[in-house]
Amino acid sequence: MGAAGAAPSAPRSPAPQPLLVDLAVAAVAVGFGLSVGLALTATSRHQLAAPGGAALFLGNLTGLAGTYLALVMVLLISRIPFVERVLGQDTLLRWHRRLAPWPITLIIAHVVILTIGYAQAAHTGILHEIGPLVNGFPDMGIATAGFVLMMAVSVASFYPIRRRIKRENWWGLHLFMYLALALAFAHEIVLGPSFVGHPMTQLVWSVAWAASAGLVLVYRVGLPVVRSIRHGLVVEEIRPEGPGVVTVILRGRHLERLAVSGGQFFEWRFLARGMWWQAHPFSISARPQPPYLRLTVKCVGDFTTALAGLPAGTRVALEGPYGTFTAHALHTRKVALIAGGIGVTSVRSLLEDLPKGTRPVVVLRASREEELVLREEIAELVKWHGGRLHEVVGPRTAQPIEHLAELIGDLRKRDTYVAGSESFVASVTRLLALLKVPQEAVHADVYAL
Amino acid sequence: MRRAAIAVVATVGGFAGVLGFNLGGSRAPLLQGAPNSNSNSNSNSNSNSGSGSGSGSNSNSNSGSNSNAGSASNPGTTTASGSGAPTTGLRSALGNTYQYGYGQLAVRVTLNGSTITKVDTVGLQTAESYSQQIAQQVIPLLRHEVLAAQSAQVNGFSGATYTSEAYLYSLQSALDKLHKK
Repeated sequence: MGAAGAAPSAPRSPAPQPLLVDLAVAAVAVGFGLSVGLALTATSRHQLAAPGGAALFLGNLTGLAGTYLALVMVLLISRIPFVERVLGQDTLLRWHRRLAPWPITLIIAHVVILTIGYAQAAHTGILHEIGPLVNGFPDMGIATAGFVLMMAVSVASFYPIRRRIKRENWWGLHLFMYLALALAFAHEIVLGPSFVGHPMTQLVWSVAWAASAGLVLVYRVGLPVVRSIRHGLVVEEIRPEGPGVVTVILRGRHLERLAVSGGQFFEWRFLARGMWWQAHPFSISARPQPPYLRLTVKCVGDFTTALAGLPAGTRVALEGPYGTFTAHALHTRKVALIAGGIGVTSVRSLLEDLPKGTRPVVVLRASREEELVLREEIAELVKWHGGRLHEVVGPRTAQPIEHLAELIGDLRKRDTYVAGSESFVASVTRLLALLKVPQEAVHADVYAL
Repeated sequence: MRRAAIAVVATVGGFAGVLGFNLGGSRAPLLQGAPNSNSNSNSNSNSNSGSGSGSGSNSNSNSGSNSNAGSASNPGTTTASGSGAPTTGLRSALGNTYQYGYGQLAVRVTLNGSTITKVDTVGLQTAESYSQQIAQQVIPLLRHEVLAAQSAQVNGFSGATYTSEAYLYSLQSALDKLHKK
């Protein structure tokens, strides 16, 4: 396994195409402009002047803008490969999280403002108007159900609440957002002033949503299922690497056709009782060596602990590969790799993929000697590359981050890859910024719990 | 951030595109003002027996597409002469304007003798597009029912309950003015 410098036998992930993503961003943004514009053109001046007119206009505007942003939210997590290759799954998730408050707020505003508007138009009270709105218009019953569902899922995603919920439970709940959006769809088409009597806008809106749903189905469900079946991975062996760290070796078919770059990760699904329904991200710790593929995992939670005890023969499904922590990200000729703790896994597989002449300087950081897992393999790869290896052991107080930078020296001339826990990566990238290392030459791989 | 710039420019582009397309098109966007096209000043206050309560408010704002085509050809003027007996000749009256929650409307009815020959909607104004569409769909059906039944005693249409009620109330008030049972 993992012989240094062995001829790579499986293809790499295709190179990222940033221009395509620029075009996709432009297309999505044009759509947003169109949505806001449609809201404006759907209201005539005399409607605006009528009782409740201003509120009805605002309610329509917030509804269109909010729903369009919800569509963008769906696209951001749809795992479209050409987008993921450029931005990376972590960046896409970050954008998804950052954008989230906007559609939610706009859709709440839509509901509140329209209720006020209809109450003004009908000369009744706001609470009095809720009944007629929900019952009196087509598709408003299910739309209301969708809104309630959306609010429930949103509350669960609100950070102070989310961190109290188990990741896999939260994720299961979060899937209901798709249902909420689907329930709300009909009332948009049937009641939306921009859509009533405008078959063209109805068609475009429907196609946009159907296409997004299709992308989600293809890339989050279809492709992973096809890939998992094609490769038919099973657990071959689980090997301890160090305190609480295991390497899982998988055996599968056609791995020479699995395009994956060193430094990438898959979402793994171990098809054992109580585990099959959750997918967890783990980096490959070596490029595929058909018929083997391996990942190295630190046991930190229920799932990873159970993982270490899986019997050989357990079937494994995978989704991916994901991540931009690859040799594709190189800007310069030379490379520095900094791994904190378990971050060594992606650095290990990335080392296999670095082009010749990159002369990697590798810094491995651990609190204790025995936590320096995979150190022999790393040493062998570094030697093959003609690079340099530094092992830094000790608590952070004794081994400050600044020290790591001193070990490397010519940081500004190198592409620096940083892998490890959130706090480790954050402090290293902060340091690199202080040292005026250009941002595009810093590549991070965060291991979240 | 290059992509942020792309996003902003493209958003503005899409926005401007819709407005541009729309200003050039036939629809009535916010910026272009309302199509207060046929402001049928209801000057034909024939036989409008005094009570013009609702008639003032619907003097404008026929929002686009209702079909009060023949209203000008109204010779107006009741030829009803004396004796209270069933009369002949054309008479018409404008019903009260009814505010029905999602909009308002008024109905003008024309009788030939005691036969309802024509029912026009004159003051249709809705708060939003859906109600406008509903009204436009249901009003021809209501007119058809009324002409068949020769009275305002017809069933409204479910899904357009409020519109139906407003239409039939206004019609009844117009018929009352003409003393038609």
